[in-house]
Amino acid sequence: MNEEHLKLSKDLLSHGVGVIAAAGYINNEGGQAIADAAMELMGQGCGTLLIDLEGTRIINSIGVSILLEIMEKLLEERGRLAFCNLTPTIAKTFEIMGLVQYASIYPDRQTARAELGIQT
Amino acid sequence: MEVVLHLPVVPNVELVAAKAVETMGGALGMKRNRVEAASVAVVEACLNAMEHGGGPMVVRLSCEVEDTRRRLLIEVEDHGGGFRPETSSRAGSTRVLGCASKRGWGLTLIRELMDEVQIRSQPGMTLVRMWKYVENGA
Repeated sequence: MNEEHLKLSKDLLSHGVGVIAAAGYINNEGGQAIADAAMELMGQGCGTLLIDLEGTRIINSIGVSILLEIMEKLLEERGRLAFCNLTPTIAKTFEIMGLVQYASIYPDRQTARAELGIQT
Repeated sequence: MEVVLHLPVVPNVELVAAKAVETMGGALGMKRNRVEAASVAVVEACLNAMEHGGGPMVVRLSCEVEDTRRRLLIEVEDHGGGFRPETSSRAGSTRVLGCASKRGWGLTLIRELMDEVQIRSQPGMTLVRMWKYVENGA
């Protein structure tokens, strides 16, 4: 099944902005892979993290709970967390679990880049 | 139309149930957003069954008609120790940050993402029954 393995890429842009693109199933392993990438970017000076979930259609609450931990760490460092390209179900899941109270949600990467002031 | 899956406890087996929901929901003409909501709900039900059921689970999918409206019925059955459904949902998202445990969202998500949910649980058998209407109606 294509969704089973998470495809992940990360990039540290200028001004401490990091972007993680994740496509696939966000379960405990997928969530941990995103967390590891986030920690690496934060270690390199990333204070604003954008997670692009284009290509992710299935998540579970264990994976989202790991995303909550990333958010907690970023907020401890006075950082910002944002998401883009969420399906309606994933957006609703984030809302139910409380991520949207602390993270910004954008419809697509272009909007996110503009709103976060990310240079192209 | 009915699908019955006997699923062992192996990593990511919940995706088999999600794929079955996707296929059956699509065959019924359910819109993608509704199929995805039902898929996440069945994933959560399977994870609960695996975590608390202590063994293989059975997932049944079927189509029903309720007051002329078609709906997908998803049942997830396990044979674990059971629990008290009325005391098992998280109260809300207000105290997420700072909590040592961020787990325990499964039943809350199931209830929010599905149109109707019934849970029967006793020692030896838990049955989660959940419905998603094909069309989003009033």
